[in-house]
Amino acid sequence: MHEEWTDLMSAAIDGELDPVTIRRLDSHLAGCAECAGVMADLQRLVATAPSYQGEAPAADLWPGIKGRIDATKVLSFGRRSPAGFGFRELLAAGIVMAAAGAVGSWYWAHREPTPVTVADRSAPGAGLELTSTAYDSALAELGRTLTARRGQLDTATVRVLERSIRTIDQAVAEARAAIQRDTANAYLNGQIAANLRQKLNLLKAATRAINSAT
Amino acid sequence: MTDVPTFQSGGESKCRSIKTMEVALTAPAWSLGTLAPSFRPGPDVDDVALAVGGDADAFERLYRRHVSKVNALARWLVAPADVEDAVQEVFIRVWEKLGTFAGQSAFGTWLHRVAVNVMLRRRQNLGRDRARVIDDEFALDAVAARPQQPELRMAIERAVDGLPPGAREIFVLHDMEGYKHDEIAELLGVDPGTSRSQLHRARMLLRKVLAS
Repeated sequence: MHEEWTDLMSAAIDGELDPVTIRRLDSHLAGCAECAGVMADLQRLVATAPSYQGEAPAADLWPGIKGRIDATKVLSFGRRSPAGFGFRELLAAGIVMAAAGAVGSWYWAHREPTPVTVADRSAPGAGLELTSTAYDSALAELGRTLTARRGQLDTATVRVLERSIRTIDQAVAEARAAIQRDTANAYLNGQIAANLRQKLNLLKAATRAINSAT
Repeated sequence: MTDVPTFQSGGESKCRSIKTMEVALTAPAWSLGTLAPSFRPGPDVDDVALAVGGDADAFERLYRRHVSKVNALARWLVAPADVEDAVQEVFIRVWEKLGTFAGQSAFGTWLHRVAVNVMLRRRQNLGRDRARVIDDEFALDAVAARPQQPELRMAIERAVDGLPPGAREIFVLHDMEGYKHDEIAELLGVDPGTSRSQLHRARMLLRKVLAS
């Protein structure tokens, strides 16, 4: 066996030799049985190597994998935002909060009127108006984002988004109706304003999540 | 008797012309029947579609079809004590990334790319990367002493186990997984020339063992 020739064999097999060197090697192999045997062995090795099959692990690893997959499923319904929350989760949370807000509004709207103190009237609905405007703006932005990126989202996500927007919108409308029934109630105003701020944050987070997910 | 030839150095299968060699490499009749399941489209397509939708049963079928090869990769690319964890992490990562699989290659090919990335990253995290390429110990003697396997494929797999780590990982990535030298160089942080020389070294070591 001649090392100066065998050293070229891998490059020859991989098609990395220039034509002149190939001809020289070919010429040598034609006259050297030993080197030709080495070349044939290497060829067979390279041709067979990709067909390896391996062996299954001694222990079945599937139960451990399944357990971790199940844990992932619980934590995430879809792609995750950089903050670690999937936007479906965010919107599901939005639904819950909106529903809670709607129940609270219904309670305040249907309860017996409460005597209002002078202190309660000191800031009638100022914070609510500010929050409400920002909320409308954020909801509109989410709607525009959804319209623009509808084709990039899977249908399940679009359904969740649309249902969430409807639910939140309805909850806020009910809250506004409740406040009109009891406009002087500063406590109710404060509760609804806080509720709107929370929804506002959720909507902004959902919009960010959609943008990052698409 | 087997339809997969074993090495018989200097025997009847010598190839005296590179042109003849090229033909043999293009269509080696004795290797066509040994293509692994991961390179056939078959049931993977349906199971991938189901698994993307969250079907864990479909993903288990994918796992069972491919785990042997992923396990072999782990055996060759990570430390023995890390093999099981590496295999698990590969399939967890694949589950998480299934939505990004575009179907432009066979699922098995994509899976193996994910597997190689996961395994090499694990190794880097454990601080055992470059030392394996540079600091090789000749480890094939023990393999050579084992009884030869009846099939060349199985004999190669066993012989690869005994290659020095640096030569082994480059042989696995290049000849078994189809990576180019430039890709290997980037993955392992070595020079492409090092990758070429280690590959040739691995092939010659394997040839020596298989011919013995």
